[in-house]
Amino acid sequence: MKVMPNPDSPPVIELHDLKKRFGIGDAEHFALDGIDLVIQKGEFIAIMGPSGCGKTTLLNIIGLLDCSTDGDYNLDGRAVATLSAHRQARIRSQQIGFIFQSFNLISRLNIIENVALPLTYKGIGRTKRLTLASAMLRNFHLNEREYYMPYQLSGGQTQRVAIARALVNQPSIILADEPTGNLDSRSSHVIMEELSDLHKRGNTIIMVTHNPSLTTYASRVITMLDGRVDTDTHTPIEKPLLIAAKRPLGGSPALKAIKLKDRSSRRTRKAKKSHRTHEMSHK
Amino acid sequence: MRFLLLNHIQNARQSLHSNRLRSGLTMLGVTIGVASITTILALSAGASKVIGDQVDALSGNIAVIRPGITSPDSLSNLTLANPHRDFAASSLTEADIALISNVAHVEAVAPLMVLSGTVKADSVAPSETPIVATSPELELISNLKVQDGQFIDSTVDQDTATIGAQLSIDIFGTDHSIGKTFTIRGKPFTVIGILKRTNNPINYNSIDFDTAAIVSLTSGKQLNQGLPQIQQINVRSDSVTNLNEAIINLNKTLIVAHHGEHDFTILTGNQISQPTSQLFYTIAGLTAAVAGISLLVGGIGIMNIMLVSVAERTREIGIRKALGATNADITIQFLIESLAMGLGGGIAGYVVGYLLAFGISTFLTFDPVLNWEIVIVALTLSVTMGTVFGLYPAIRAARKDPIESLREYN
Repeated sequence: MKVMPNPDSPPVIELHDLKKRFGIGDAEHFALDGIDLVIQKGEFIAIMGPSGCGKTTLLNIIGLLDCSTDGDYNLDGRAVATLSAHRQARIRSQQIGFIFQSFNLISRLNIIENVALPLTYKGIGRTKRLTLASAMLRNFHLNEREYYMPYQLSGGQTQRVAIARALVNQPSIILADEPTGNLDSRSSHVIMEELSDLHKRGNTIIMVTHNPSLTTYASRVITMLDGRVDTDTHTPIEKPLLIAAKRPLGGSPALKAIKLKDRSSRRTRKAKKSHRTHEMSHK
Repeated sequence: MRFLLLNHIQNARQSLHSNRLRSGLTMLGVTIGVASITTILALSAGASKVIGDQVDALSGNIAVIRPGITSPDSLSNLTLANPHRDFAASSLTEADIALISNVAHVEAVAPLMVLSGTVKADSVAPSETPIVATSPELELISNLKVQDGQFIDSTVDQDTATIGAQLSIDIFGTDHSIGKTFTIRGKPFTVIGILKRTNNPINYNSIDFDTAAIVSLTSGKQLNQGLPQIQQINVRSDSVTNLNEAIINLNKTLIVAHHGEHDFTILTGNQISQPTSQLFYTIAGLTAAVAGISLLVGGIGIMNIMLVSVAERTREIGIRKALGATNADITIQFLIESLAMGLGGGIAGYVVGYLLAFGISTFLTFDPVLNWEIVIVALTLSVTMGTVFGLYPAIRAARKDPIESLREYN
């Protein structure tokens, strides 16, 4: 059964005017240039856009691997800027699961040890770690490959191991950076089925992809351009509007509401335009 | 945290195992450093123990009077360890010997006057052969055993000598030389006794009795142009309990005889061996400091390899951080690895050091000492090295930016 996002529950991720600058002086460049985004629990978001538009940077900031230069990021209602590096690592360990394009398994550890690795940082004992990792690998039909080394598996199998590793901690948010980037189309769809399955079980998934055909698995598609959100297929109007309206930032509530209305109409236009372009490209 | 530590240890083992040759060579550096320090300490402790054992074996009723003042703890004692101070006039005289003999509770007195000179018979003895002029009581006080014949005796003619077994072989070619004649500084002496081998060149008298020629004090004076030059007087009290009282009496008597001048030192028990022990410990300390340089080189080896390891595993650091490792987790992981190398090298070094010390001791007259102080020194050194030289690479690893690390080529 598909779990639909509940607009009444507080958003899991809330970004407001998020900026990330690289370089200084002449070389100054904004990878993210004022991102406003609200993500509810249980959403499956696909982020698309051309190379260098800031998708991965956004994902890294959401995953607490990087920090923004400016703007607010609230995770589960808590401002990330106020959290210590230690606390952020704990959140990564307990709440966030990463899936990378290049799999990022540790080559000198075998499959089961790779999957058990996140549990180490939760302070779980070796036997229990391996039991949990084994159970997770069984879900991905890899229980016969437990003691293989990463280089002995195919690309699709390796990515399934990486997904198993991302899930072993039972995180509430899964961040996938081009999870199918290194896979053939058949393996890609297998992986996407797995992610879709996870989404149905109530996980929040944020996936960066270059492949438009994979967006069909997502419940919401965001396209980015030059460090900004270009189009968003789903605008959770009611709740974020109210939240945004309550903010003292950005002038009076009435003005804010007008601004948001403006923005949403622009988004709809752009979404239609992109849909048309998409159709044309298919033709 | 407990599990994490256990995991770090497993991880370190795995990482060291996967780079066996590299880890082995790094450990070898530490092993050599720790082994050389262990060897030096074990041998020097062995040498000091020899003297300590001798003093203990003398059943605690021996006191030694030496000319001049020595403070028991001063390093200047090192220069006084050797009583061969031929250039200085001794403050102890023949008259003192007579006085000491009459002090209450003093059972035996043996002055020591050590001369050097040519000792010759069929062949010439080595130039460092000690010629000891003393009284017959030395046999009792220093527990000397006669293998053949007798010790020098006041009733026998003055021109007789008791010689060490090795000296007998050196000059006569045999240790059965009773009745044979040899010359000291051209003056003929007849051998009346051969000493049993002691194999103890290091002792509180600083005389190797195996190579010594022992003559009476009168003969010694004749060899020294009629002058007594007493470097040490050994005194034995009638019982252990009376030794302190005897020393008090000796002090009083000698101060009066020396017109109130305290120009002598009375040593008992460990004080007797202390200057010699200190000398050994100082020499050992200096050699250990030189060996410490090799340890330093070993430590730099650890740091070097750890830096290489951190650079090689940058991507792994990024992955671990993405999976929830804190900076402290990464620091501890690499620190345990360097600690394991230091400790492994240290334990191997300790074992090798002792094997080496036992090997060397087969050519020496004493055995190395196995004691917990050396274990602690070896372990502390290796743990300190592992930590100190591993800390910088570990901190460097922990400070790596996770995003940069993940971008690193695998």
